[in-house]
Amino acid sequence: MSLASLQFLTALLIVATAFPYLPGLRWRQATLAICNAGFVYLLIPNGASWLALGAFLASGYLTYLLLRKWPSRILLSIYLFLLVTTFLIIRKYEIVTMYLPESTLALAVSIVGLSYMLFRQIQFLVDAFEDQIDQASWWGYLNYQLNLFTLLSGPIQRYQDFQEQWNRLDIVLDDRHALRMAYFRLLMGLIKMTIIATLFQSIYQRSAEALSLPAGSAAQLAPISAIGHFFSVFYSYPLYLYLNFSGYCDIVIAGALLVGLILPENFDRPYLARNVIDYWTRWHRTLGFWIRDYLFLPLYKTIAERWPKRAESLAFLCYFFAFFVAGIWHGPTLNFVIYGLLQAVGVSAAKLWERHLLKRRGRVGLKEYLQSPKIRASAIAGTLHFECFSLLFFPADVPTTLHMLRTVWRSVI
Amino acid sequence: MNIVRGQLQDVFRDVFSDPALVLNDGMTAEDIEGWDSITHINLIIAIEKRMGVKFATAEISRLKEDSSSVGDLVELVAGKLKSSK
Repeated sequence: MSLASLQFLTALLIVATAFPYLPGLRWRQATLAICNAGFVYLLIPNGASWLALGAFLASGYLTYLLLRKWPSRILLSIYLFLLVTTFLIIRKYEIVTMYLPESTLALAVSIVGLSYMLFRQIQFLVDAFEDQIDQASWWGYLNYQLNLFTLLSGPIQRYQDFQEQWNRLDIVLDDRHALRMAYFRLLMGLIKMTIIATLFQSIYQRSAEALSLPAGSAAQLAPISAIGHFFSVFYSYPLYLYLNFSGYCDIVIAGALLVGLILPENFDRPYLARNVIDYWTRWHRTLGFWIRDYLFLPLYKTIAERWPKRAESLAFLCYFFAFFVAGIWHGPTLNFVIYGLLQAVGVSAAKLWERHLLKRRGRVGLKEYLQSPKIRASAIAGTLHFECFSLLFFPADVPTTLHMLRTVWRSVI
Repeated sequence: MNIVRGQLQDVFRDVFSDPALVLNDGMTAEDIEGWDSITHINLIIAIEKRMGVKFATAEISRLKEDSSSVGDLVELVAGKLKSSK
């Protein structure tokens, strides 16, 4: 079921209208739980997928209970290894499927939102192991993992934040203005996702198809037409992706507010970032923060504690590892690896440039540099174009993208 | 609290190589030049060593949030020292 579908919106409006009149926490929790269960029911296609989802959820909660009783790093590590391996098998990553028999791969297991569920599970268990979670009930945990507002594509919310809201489910929009603004955001999200994003998607598809014609017919493209299609692909896909994803986030954040849940924001004008480090604090923020907190920081901390003198240089290895994982998390194909590694190159370049400026100009000089409007404008334009270039690899496999680039090259030269 | 703040100020001065740095509770990462993810971890490691405390991943993350201030750090460290006694 799409979040922009009439069925979803009708159900949301009915529940949101009834929500303030529900008598007490238990009724509110039960209503949301029924909605979550109904949403999942519509999305799970077969018995094998139900079994896999059940095993995923039950094993996570069981491990939580065991960790509370025996906080063992070995237990946590073994479980996380098995969890990630299972994820790689279900999502058919070649790194594991090449070792598996055909019969295992023939199982049609499909769980929507599994990538997000995986990150929530890791966060939940690491935080539980480190004693950062108060008593988590099976009921609360299930609704956290299957929360219809975050199930499909995030935002990735911390268990602690969800738990706090779930145990109150107060009316968070306490005046008419706040309520109107939530409905307005819902409407804007719908418009962004279904009209504007769709427009840019069709522009992208038309140009991508023109550039994907077989080599023999590529000569038919006039240079000006090839360049036009290239720029159309170059700019329209990033616009489509932003409008589609941020529109989706507008819908779920506003929808969740109507039923007493406050979700974290996922976007903050990403195409105005002044470098790639800044970009990842603005684009898909909850993913960027998850990668930073649960991959980059522990890895860098371990390195900095063991080899403090070499930590600064080794930080770049951590960037590449973290963004490699961020890349393959999006999908099992090479194009996502390239996308992730390009982000690591961008982050490393930004960090090296900052160090160079600091060495050459000192802290005061760096501050002046950062405050210059001309430099800021150039940095924003440079970052925007770097991200547009990276996103060339996002929607299609590598041979298709390279073929499109070759088509433009052959037509122009 | 004042003793903890004073000890943290020494750690901040070492990590940020700024002997004139004066901490106050309202300060955030925005107010201190060079407080990025890497310096944040260097700061955490230095505090752990100097004060004999240990931070959880979620705590390290929360301290890096935009809304987090030096006051939150002082309070967290003071709480950890109190519970370890």
